[in-house]
Amino acid sequence: MTFTNVSLDPQNLPALAEAPLEPVSPRLAPCQAVLRSLHWLLLTALAAFMPLMIAEIAAWQPWPAVGVGLLGVISVVLGWLEARRRTYGLRQHDLIYRRGLLVQSTQVLPLARLQHIETSSNPVERAFGLVRLVCFTAGGRGADMVLEGLTADRAAAIRQHLLARLERAEPEPTGADAP
Amino acid sequence: MSEASPLGGGQGGELKWQRLSPWAVLLLLLSGSASLLRQHMPLVLGAGAGLALVERLGLRELALGGAVLLILAVLISLLYYRRFRYCCDGDVLIVQKGLLEHREFKVAARHVQSIVIRQPVYMRPFGLVLWEVETLAGEASRIALPGIRRERAEVLERELRPPDGRRRPTKPRPGATSESSPADEMQAVPRFVIGAKAIVLHGLASRSIYLIAAMLSPLVRPLERWLHDRLPQLDFEAWMPGSPLLAVAVGLLAVVILLALLAILAAWWRFHGFVLLDAGERQIQRSGLFHRQEQTLSLARLQVVEWVQTGLGRLLGRGYLVCHQYGALGGDAGESRRFMVPGLSEAQGEALTAHFWQGSAGSGYFKPGRFTGHAGSGQLLRRVDPSYRRVLFLRYLLLLAGGAALVLGLLIPLELSWPAWGGLAAGLPLLAAVLAHWRWIATGWAQEGDFLRVRRGVVGQRTGIFPMHHLISLRLQQSWLQRRRGVATLHLELANGRQTLPYLKEDDARHLADTLLFTAECAQPV
Repeated sequence: MTFTNVSLDPQNLPALAEAPLEPVSPRLAPCQAVLRSLHWLLLTALAAFMPLMIAEIAAWQPWPAVGVGLLGVISVVLGWLEARRRTYGLRQHDLIYRRGLLVQSTQVLPLARLQHIETSSNPVERAFGLVRLVCFTAGGRGADMVLEGLTADRAAAIRQHLLARLERAEPEPTGADAP
Repeated sequence: MSEASPLGGGQGGELKWQRLSPWAVLLLLLSGSASLLRQHMPLVLGAGAGLALVERLGLRELALGGAVLLILAVLISLLYYRRFRYCCDGDVLIVQKGLLEHREFKVAARHVQSIVIRQPVYMRPFGLVLWEVETLAGEASRIALPGIRRERAEVLERELRPPDGRRRPTKPRPGATSESSPADEMQAVPRFVIGAKAIVLHGLASRSIYLIAAMLSPLVRPLERWLHDRLPQLDFEAWMPGSPLLAVAVGLLAVVILLALLAILAAWWRFHGFVLLDAGERQIQRSGLFHRQEQTLSLARLQVVEWVQTGLGRLLGRGYLVCHQYGALGGDAGESRRFMVPGLSEAQGEALTAHFWQGSAGSGYFKPGRFTGHAGSGQLLRRVDPSYRRVLFLRYLLLLAGGAALVLGLLIPLELSWPAWGGLAAGLPLLAAVLAHWRWIATGWAQEGDFLRVRRGVVGQRTGIFPMHHLISLRLQQSWLQRRRGVATLHLELANGRQTLPYLKEDDARHLADTLLFTAECAQPV
């Protein structure tokens, strides 16, 4: 067995900032808008129709409802803009997901840590032809990465690719390696 | 399937199922009752609910109800015992159990990450133990055999030893004690034995004091009522201090001393006779005054070692180590269930951490003397950007101002004089600034070869030390303010939860993220 130990330049490691990322489906923005609208409509209805016992307070009831409605509109607009900026990338050894408008975050999941993959979608997502890819790692703490805004075809292709990689990987954990 | 197993499995033969000891029925009842009592004692005794129930139902009716419940519990325990069986098929443990729903569990040796043997005081006369195994799926996957013979538990432990369990055999040393199994080729070397002073200091420095205070808090109201009724009849005035302030101070001191004594007793109860044995790849700890416990840690499954010091612990120069594996639930609160080495001085903690990480596959050797990052004891911990301190100051100030407004405005409507308002206005920012500074000082990180150290805290501090290839995933986060200041927050997901490095210089954060990913992906390429 030949042992190699090639020196690496720490400044020339594969850079996360240079990873090519691809935008998610443009249908995610309207889908998010619908989901957020439904959520805020419910809250506005609650604020508008909640029975109040004190007449003086009840006279002011429409104003909180208007406030909640305005917050809802802002949330929908921000959600739309945020969804249009979401990107993801699949590199040889990891999966990248970038999201956020005011607070931007880039999540990276090394494929070596992947345990299993699920796809899921709610009725609104199905109406827009979108699917969520849910990735789980070891430890049983729930989903570690949820990739939203993939079309069904793209999600199936990525899932297939990841499963093929998992099958090629070591079947059992050994030593200090992850399970 | 490998060679024939003394616990049922054999080459080509049928599985020979084993049952729990018949005494397990009684022990199940006892442990269930003890657990119920422990959980509900403060409520029943403290809030007076128990007395109210007795008064309302009557003693005879209550006894009758208790008897019915006892018969029901006995029947359920019998049924549980009847349905419970287990065997070893090669290096796979099979357990079948369930009252209404029959369930079968299979645990392969290569998936085992830790084994615990407990022996409560009421199990000792019967020679029985409670045997638990935890797989790589984490604490939620724990499977217990409640009430088997000790010899059988030791056989099970040998059967389920991971295949790589002989990675680092230790050399026999003079004075080494023989391990529990005579068939074991390795000898266990004591690495750390706790002394009386260390137990006392650990009791004082641990968080038990707060837990005990929380547990006893329901008793405050009945005690207050009792004092209110009884105090006038007792001649306290003869020996109580004249000044009310002094009396309050003496009272508080008495409470603190009582809590400290209880915390020391709790430490003594849990860690009496604590010994850490080094059996090569396996680390074994035994402890307990009445409730004996033996815990085995596989170094191959070790993910993060954490050095923990409470505020008082830092003053006393004591702390403890927590060894984290996969699937640690309950965060910091659940650490008592994990492999813990208590009552350590900093030097002992550093030496043990180095010992745990020696020979970690794919990583360099961890060098001792790296906890505190003091000059002369290793590389200094790098501080995060000072803008973090300003953000913390604002957060603390908002929190304190909100709290003060709530307390003064709603809960205790007080009319404060102008000097008092001035004092409050000056005191809150000062307190916020002190807290923010302490937290900023405590937050630090350092990369030591293939290891990363991350420290957090305010008064107490926790330092996580782990090989970089143990990273599970990471997240680089920037708010608009952070983007303007050129800083970023790095969240590292590890087996025991999240480690956060807030407000790093953006270049540092990106370089660290690239290095971590490179190390993790090279260690186990897909």
